Amino acid sequence: MSDEFDLDVLAESFSEFLEGEWPKEKAIAYERSDQSYDADLWSAMAGLGWTALTAPEAEGGLGLGTAAAAHLHAALGAAVTPTPMLGTLLATTLLGATGAEGARGLLAGIIDGSLRVAVAEPNAVPVQTDGKTISGTARDLLDAPGANLLLVRIALAGQPGWVAIDADAPGVSIHRYTLADTTRSLGDVTLDNVQIGEGRLIRPTAGAALDDLLTRQACVAIAADSLGGGEAVLKITIEYMKVREQFGRLIGSFQALKHRVADHHAALVGARELVLNAATIPDDDDGALLAALSTKAHVAAVTADIARDCIQLHGGVGFTSEFSPHLYLKRAKLNEALYGTRTAILDRVADMLEAA
Amino acid sequence: MMTQTSEALAPAIDRTAARTFDPLSKVGDEQAFRQEIRDWLAAVLPADWRKQWQQTRESDLRGVMTWWLEERRKVGLATPHWPKAWGGPGISFAYQIMVYEELSRADAPELDIFTISLFHTPATLFEHGTQDQIDRYLGGITQGTDIWCQGFSEPGAGSDLASLRTAAIRDGDDYIVNGQKIWSSSSMHADYCLLLARTDPNGKRKHDGISYFIMDMKSPGITVRPIRQITGESEFAEVFMDDVRIPAKNLIGAEGNGWNIAQSTLSTERGLLIFGSTERLARSFALDRVDAKDSWMRDVGLRREYAGFYAELQAIRLMVRRLLAELEANPEKASPTLPTFIKLNWGPFLQSYSEFLVRAEGLEAQKWQPSIPGTGHSSRLRFNDFLKSYGWTVAGGSNEIMRNIISERILAMPRG
Repeated sequence: MSDEFDLDVLAESFSEFLEGEWPKEKAIAYERSDQSYDADLWSAMAGLGWTALTAPEAEGGLGLGTAAAAHLHAALGAAVTPTPMLGTLLATTLLGATGAEGARGLLAGIIDGSLRVAVAEPNAVPVQTDGKTISGTARDLLDAPGANLLLVRIALAGQPGWVAIDADAPGVSIHRYTLADTTRSLGDVTLDNVQIGEGRLIRPTAGAALDDLLTRQACVAIAADSLGGGEAVLKITIEYMKVREQFGRLIGSFQALKHRVADHHAALVGARELVLNAATIPDDDDGALLAALSTKAHVAAVTADIARDCIQLHGGVGFTSEFSPHLYLKRAKLNEALYGTRTAILDRVADMLEAA
Repeated sequence: MMTQTSEALAPAIDRTAARTFDPLSKVGDEQAFRQEIRDWLAAVLPADWRKQWQQTRESDLRGVMTWWLEERRKVGLATPHWPKAWGGPGISFAYQIMVYEELSRADAPELDIFTISLFHTPATLFEHGTQDQIDRYLGGITQGTDIWCQGFSEPGAGSDLASLRTAAIRDGDDYIVNGQKIWSSSSMHADYCLLLARTDPNGKRKHDGISYFIMDMKSPGITVRPIRQITGESEFAEVFMDDVRIPAKNLIGAEGNGWNIAQSTLSTERGLLIFGSTERLARSFALDRVDAKDSWMRDVGLRREYAGFYAELQAIRLMVRRLLAELEANPEKASPTLPTFIKLNWGPFLQSYSEFLVRAEGLEAQKWQPSIPGTGHSSRLRFNDFLKSYGWTVAGGSNEIMRNIISERILAMPRG
């Protein structure tokens, strides 16, 4: 199906919808709402099939690939939406890869958006289990506070895997951390003798390949989110610089300022190429993970730097919560920290380059 | 010391097993075409050409580069980018890209001193020149006997090129030219110069009244003074013109239309030169980590810094690939802004990465070595490459000019 799909048209439809449904005023107001996600926005997205994007057609999904997901995440980043879409993407891949019927059966809920999933990073410290019950704590699980399904990293007899746990199951408690980026949150998930349901164990036969696939998809999605955010915050800043006057002149006419904008724009043009490339490499290509990791580290840093400067370029109003640049900065900084800090990823990139 | 001439290169190659190579006969079969170029390069290019060329003195530079152009000419690859109408092979853009890719992968020499001859001159002559001009000058270019230079920049007209002041005043069948040009690459080797001069000082705008000439560099009144660069080399020179007579038939296009002609031919290389340059650096980048596996790649900080450059380089390579793909699909519809973005990424990248290598290699990188002609920005002599990187951040529109173009023309920010 993806062959027939015009991804640019798709990307435009994402942006158009979000411009209407999640304008800057809503994004700014949401910051003070203390919610873990926006329920109305999430339902609307599900209604449009966005939660079904990468699910297999045989399961009722749209069967699109990582490139389509990248366009979606770029649009979400541009609109700074509080929606747990990364969990949807990763859970779709994880559950789709398992032969366990119970876990596969959860796909329907993911596709229709009734399930909001928090998925642990593959390199999270695993919670030990005997396969029947599970006790322990999964720390810093992204979007866990708003989730109703948790995919926790486990170790069973020394083998890594995952377990799908309902957030309201007996013995589950979640401690919520509010983040600087309020569009997302982290939770420490404590499991106290929680029963593991029938078919809820995911023990990947592919082993490390599945971890790599999840890491790759997450990195592409996060890089795309950053790219969308970077492009959006720079656009907003340029618009402001075209109307704000000081010393009788538009501040956008000052070379000291507009040259910084030019550098940011040129960096984003390169970043876009990296994201598009990383998103379109076939899953089984040896270079897919290297491209995703290096792209994530680079693009997340580029946007974080741009967002930081955009507050400065706004001057005083950039320091107020009424203007949006700070939302982008906060989101960009979280994107930098997710799935490995820059230094951790670069060490891995160096390993991969040396091994190639 | 014995001078190194083009002939002196020949004995380094074993010609006993030589066969003839004909890559152009393989067009249509990509693998066979690439393989033929690889076989030819393996047979004809001495493995130690860098060492040999490094010993070449400036006076012999023309000799070694002419030798390489001649080798390329023998297999039809002197001017792979030329259409049939220009006397070139007329291969598709995709195959032109393959030629440049294979030349870069094999680390074949760049033909710096022929850049204007092989790209700008034919593009200018075929688009704006007379048939007489084409007939007269083209042969010397394809045969590799003539080197052309460009007389555009002046001491008072660098980034602000349109304010040039070199004057050309009509006198009978000639123009009499007085003025000074600067940063004219290879002009000390040049036979001819593409010259911009002001024929009408009273134009409405400074772009008006500029005309485009072919100037014979052997004309009386021309003095060429090489400029010693911070790398120790002299790749360009100042050209002084004192009552130089240029026949009126050497005017290209209409009098006063020089600015437009210059604009239309500045970008004739269609991304191929920067493509060659970035692919060479990619090759060099991969070698750098192998060469440093027992030295700075063992330093966690430097190793990390190196890994950080990977994505930056990939971004540039992808942008260049996109530019080439767009040009291949339809030159009329190719992004007019992408070359600017590429330049503003590539120059600073080259400078940061080459600076990194100087720092990473410590005292080793401080030891001065003569530069290696034909290696562009990938000589792998660390300090030389670092210093030479200013060629990309200053020349051809400095970073600052690129930033003006992006902010004012592309992003429509107000002018200062």
